Amino acid sequence: MTADHSLPMAAERLIPHRPPMRLVERLIAFEDGAGQTEACFAENSLLADDDGALDPVALIELIAQSYATVKGYDDLVNGRPVMEGFLVGIRKLRITGKAFANERLLTTVKTVGTFEGFAVVEAIVTRGGETIAAGSMKLWITEKPAGGGSRG
Amino acid sequence: MNALALGILAAAGDSVSVDDGGFVSRPYCFAPGFAGFDGHFPGAPILPAVVQIQTVVAMAGGHAGVPLRLSSVESAKFLSPIRPDEAILVRFRICEVGGKPMHDAILTVAGKTASSFLLHLVPEESTS
Repeated sequence: MTADHSLPMAAERLIPHRPPMRLVERLIAFEDGAGQTEACFAENSLLADDDGALDPVALIELIAQSYATVKGYDDLVNGRPVMEGFLVGIRKLRITGKAFANERLLTTVKTVGTFEGFAVVEAIVTRGGETIAAGSMKLWITEKPAGGGSRG
Repeated sequence: MNALALGILAAAGDSVSVDDGGFVSRPYCFAPGFAGFDGHFPGAPILPAVVQIQTVVAMAGGHAGVPLRLSSVESAKFLSPIRPDEAILVRFRICEVGGKPMHDAILTVAGKTASSFLLHLVPEESTS
């Protein structure tokens, strides 16, 4: 029997994060180290204020988890165990817009380089077509299976 | 204020000091029940990187007497995981980089740097 790897796929299959700290809901696109995820924060999210405004740091976590989701999917479709990973760096990540609970946020990540277990990723987060965060991250993928994906 | 921010407030120690180099310091300790550990990760909790950044934002806002929000992360390094109940010393100072005021922050655990950041923070309602 062939495993079903069709997209969209729930992030829970691909990353070790769990609610309330799992922010990515699902992977909706994937192509060769790049991909797009979808998230929608609930009003009672840990990172939502009383008026529904999301803390800007939520967008950073979204990017880290989105890379983890893409990497987890890449491992899954290639029959590899998902390796443990850690966020080790952020560079020039700008928060240019606000986001609110119940809005659909799309995060696009692209791996721009890999070297001895390290991956450099560029990402943008959009809300209704408007870019609200963009920047670069560095992640370290260990050789230890995680049962999930990268850790932010 | 969101639930994680409330948890960060609860994790803050009482003593705030300023050294000769202009670094403002405050101890923090996140108990195992801190909400940011829930699901991050099951059976192996570590303090999310974004909570580390959020802690500096909150501390800087408290020190300035004005709520601040994150505008950009110019650079950040996460060198070792921070686990529940570890005693963290959070330090920051304001410096200028490229004509912009930045918050230069370092988190240490047992004297070792766990993470460091260069953040651009703005008043809560500012758009810059």
